[in-house]
Amino acid sequence: MRAPFTFGALLLTVVPGVAGAQQRPGDPRAEMQALQIAPLRFNPPQPKRVTLSNKVVAYLLEDHSLPLINVQLVSRVGVANLPDSLWGVGWQADALLRTGGTVRLTPDSVDKLVDFYALNIAFSTDQEQSNATLSGLSRYTDQLLSLGFEMMKTPRNDSSRVRITAAQQQENWRRRNDTPGSVLNRAWSQVLMGDHPLGRSLVTPTEIAGFTPDRFRWVQERLYCPQNFVIGVSGDFQERQIVATLERMFRGWTPCKPGLRDVPPVAFAEGPKVVLVEKDVNQTNIRMGHRGGVRIADNPDYFASQVADFLLGGSGFTSRLLSRVRSDSGFAYSAFSNWGADTKREDQFVAGAQIRAEKTVAGIGLMRSVIGSMAAEPVTAQDVKLAQDNEVNSFVFRFENPAQIVGQQLSYAVDGLPANWFDIYLRGIQAVTPPQVRQVAQRYLHPDKLVIVVVGKPSAFDKALTEIGRVTPLPVDSIKR
Amino acid sequence: MRRALLMLAALTAAAPAVAQEPTPGERLSVVKHVLSNGMTFLLLRRPTAPTVSFVTHFRAGGVDEWTGISGTAHLFEHMLFKGSRSVGTKNLMAEEALFPAIDAVADSFTAEFRKGALADSAQLERLRSRLKQLEDSARGFVVSNELDRILTENGAVGLNASTSNDVTNYYFSLPANRAQLWFVLESDRLRNPVLREFYSEREVVMEERRLRVETQPFGLLLEEYLAAAFRAHPYGRPVVGVASEIQAVSRGSALEYFHRYYGPNNAVVAIVGDINVDSMKAWATRYFSDIPPGEPHRPVVTQEPPQRGERRIDVEYDASPQLLIGYHVPSARHPDAPALQVLSQILTGGRTSRLFQRLVIRDRVATSIQTFQFPGSLYPRLFTFLGVPIAPHTTAEIEKAVYEELDRIQREPPTAEELQRVRNQTEASSVQRLQSNFGLAFQLSSSEALWYDWRQTFRDQAAQTRVTAADVQRVAKAYFTPTNRTVATLVRPAKPATGGND
Repeated sequence: MRAPFTFGALLLTVVPGVAGAQQRPGDPRAEMQALQIAPLRFNPPQPKRVTLSNKVVAYLLEDHSLPLINVQLVSRVGVANLPDSLWGVGWQADALLRTGGTVRLTPDSVDKLVDFYALNIAFSTDQEQSNATLSGLSRYTDQLLSLGFEMMKTPRNDSSRVRITAAQQQENWRRRNDTPGSVLNRAWSQVLMGDHPLGRSLVTPTEIAGFTPDRFRWVQERLYCPQNFVIGVSGDFQERQIVATLERMFRGWTPCKPGLRDVPPVAFAEGPKVVLVEKDVNQTNIRMGHRGGVRIADNPDYFASQVADFLLGGSGFTSRLLSRVRSDSGFAYSAFSNWGADTKREDQFVAGAQIRAEKTVAGIGLMRSVIGSMAAEPVTAQDVKLAQDNEVNSFVFRFENPAQIVGQQLSYAVDGLPANWFDIYLRGIQAVTPPQVRQVAQRYLHPDKLVIVVVGKPSAFDKALTEIGRVTPLPVDSIKR
Repeated sequence: MRRALLMLAALTAAAPAVAQEPTPGERLSVVKHVLSNGMTFLLLRRPTAPTVSFVTHFRAGGVDEWTGISGTAHLFEHMLFKGSRSVGTKNLMAEEALFPAIDAVADSFTAEFRKGALADSAQLERLRSRLKQLEDSARGFVVSNELDRILTENGAVGLNASTSNDVTNYYFSLPANRAQLWFVLESDRLRNPVLREFYSEREVVMEERRLRVETQPFGLLLEEYLAAAFRAHPYGRPVVGVASEIQAVSRGSALEYFHRYYGPNNAVVAIVGDINVDSMKAWATRYFSDIPPGEPHRPVVTQEPPQRGERRIDVEYDASPQLLIGYHVPSARHPDAPALQVLSQILTGGRTSRLFQRLVIRDRVATSIQTFQFPGSLYPRLFTFLGVPIAPHTTAEIEKAVYEELDRIQREPPTAEELQRVRNQTEASSVQRLQSNFGLAFQLSSSEALWYDWRQTFRDQAAQTRVTAADVQRVAKAYFTPTNRTVATLVRPAKPATGGND
């Protein structure tokens, strides 16, 4: 493409001339050609890694530009590590940490402190990790940390608040089919992954019936406990003080208890398969995909798969999917792909769109052929270079603020990636060649074996869905969660 | 832990003092640079990371549309991503030579479409496919999404835009060493937009409407609620457009909208990040100063007449109930606005707020209760309550609680502790809002576009910290009367087509 935009192109320092300022702009293409791009000299600040006396690692990055502090705690275990019977309790254990009070403070007292000091204390139990975020004005750092840690160390799970969470989850269950997006998400997980915990996102009435303070406590003691944590602190603090405070906060915290499991292996459904969920809407929600096949450790296939995904549907308007389905055809507002990969296991490859009902079958056919085009049609050097230039030139945005820099280190630590993972990633992406992209597409993307889930109103479709393949109906009420 | 107990005791005793000096936002060293054509640049150097955020607001929104073209402001926003006479084309002359034929078919389609129920559907289908065929021929000369592609390869992030009732904004961020590219591309598309692929984009916008409104129970409820509350003022019209009007918008009316409202004197650009302020000024002058000014923006003349009694509507959709209650209140610039904002915090700001305590925690009637003031800032708007009931509780129970709490605050003033909580939250947010370059650029540009003063948004927040208990009671009495109220309830139709319940 245009040479002046390439990374490492002739690096002149530009002093925008005052003389130049008086000239009228010329042809924009000539202007772009003439742009001189100075080298970007930037060494992102590095967080300091300290190990507390209980072996917990903390990443610290001071930034005194605003009187704010942000403390992130990430635990290496999540809801999918719980015994299956406790999945629903685990999914809401974060809500109870926040709302259920502490042994010492009633739920109302905690709420009063949080609201009065404008603290932000939030917990989230995810599938394979659990998080706590504590932030606020730095002059309330002591209040923030003592309250936030007290909530994790000695949660009360007040029965009145357990009842509130149960009632709210029951209502969520009642509303589960209200929007096509919710129906599609749940149908997709069930079709592709069965009832595997990694595919779950909704608590069932049976699970809700099992909500008790004791069971929440059992889960919280195992997901939020010292040895599982990595900590990040950014903002307006002094290192010595914060380390002393963290040491104090961890004192007397019960060690992690046994009872968690490894996440069971995932079995992805094999295609081809077309599943229809009927819903009376004038726009059809579509998702298609299959196992992703690639793990992060699978070099260089992993990097090539990332580039392939960027070109296929991961990069918005420059991607083939959005370009063909939206810009050229006007079938949809949104169309995307996401080729996931994980350090622990392979993930899913998916593509999705919301397509005008009267173009449903044409749209599915188009999406399938665009996926196929990654292997069938040439991937040019320009295509690959676009993906590489984007990664290289936008790297500064991964280091825009201290909380982001620290958060990145936490996620590498939890995922088992090295601290310099970003450099490795950037080099890996830059080394990808067009033939490699085509090869990963040929090896791992199978447009003829897609699992396709469609949520919509078949009487409004352009053609019978059977044109795509044999259709299995999935009544909305047989989506189990 | 002992500390936590002490903190609680301190709640009423030693509340933090209220800051009376200017807020951190007002003290920012923003440089305002106005070109001779009226285009305004707000420049703020923040050399943390080498990134720059650009946000442009135009004083052009949904309310500025004329009758029959609803959705045009938003459709035009989409069109500005299609490029210019230079960007997005392989052969401009060949491309533009096809426009008259395309527009003629589009006009014939619209002429038939205007017949409504009497329109010939076969003829409509023929014209639609002819339109598609012609636009596909023109597409042969188009470099698809080239603007996006140039920005993508240069490492831009967050490229997007949005259209609201009052204004339209466009934004992205660049690595600091590529800042000049913004000037090249933005001045080009503002000077020479080409509305290519217009009619297929119109279809895309229809899908956006279906995605956000027609297939979403909340989206539908909101649209019907606004239409019920505003009989005269354009705040009652959906910004995305009425479906039939979107299908009839022409390239000509979109261009007319552009020429009327997109003069450089109606544009405010904020540039925040690792910048050299002098370079930005020089480039602003070089790239934008020769664009001729347009008509100055004129506020909408229509004023919503006073409401003459409560309005109630049901909106039927196959989904569980939700409730909107709204009261007409003045614009964000009115002297009562800060007290209304504080009232909203007292009622629903946080878990200790009055309505949250009652509906969510004490009575377990609702999963959530929120308030917001919308659908704009420039003109009188709606103080709105959104409540979601937990079955078997009903929206009627939420209504009753809201009215009782509104009565109560008219009788019993907010306590000192409540007001202090709101002040503390306001103070924290006055710092938190300064964290990101993009967020700051957005606020500066928006404030200047709406109020001709980038500091206004920060002053508004400062004004909230000076609101007294008497102010809150006064506005509660002035606006929250049954006569001034619109209530919209989402209800399931008698026989649901599909979809489950318990």
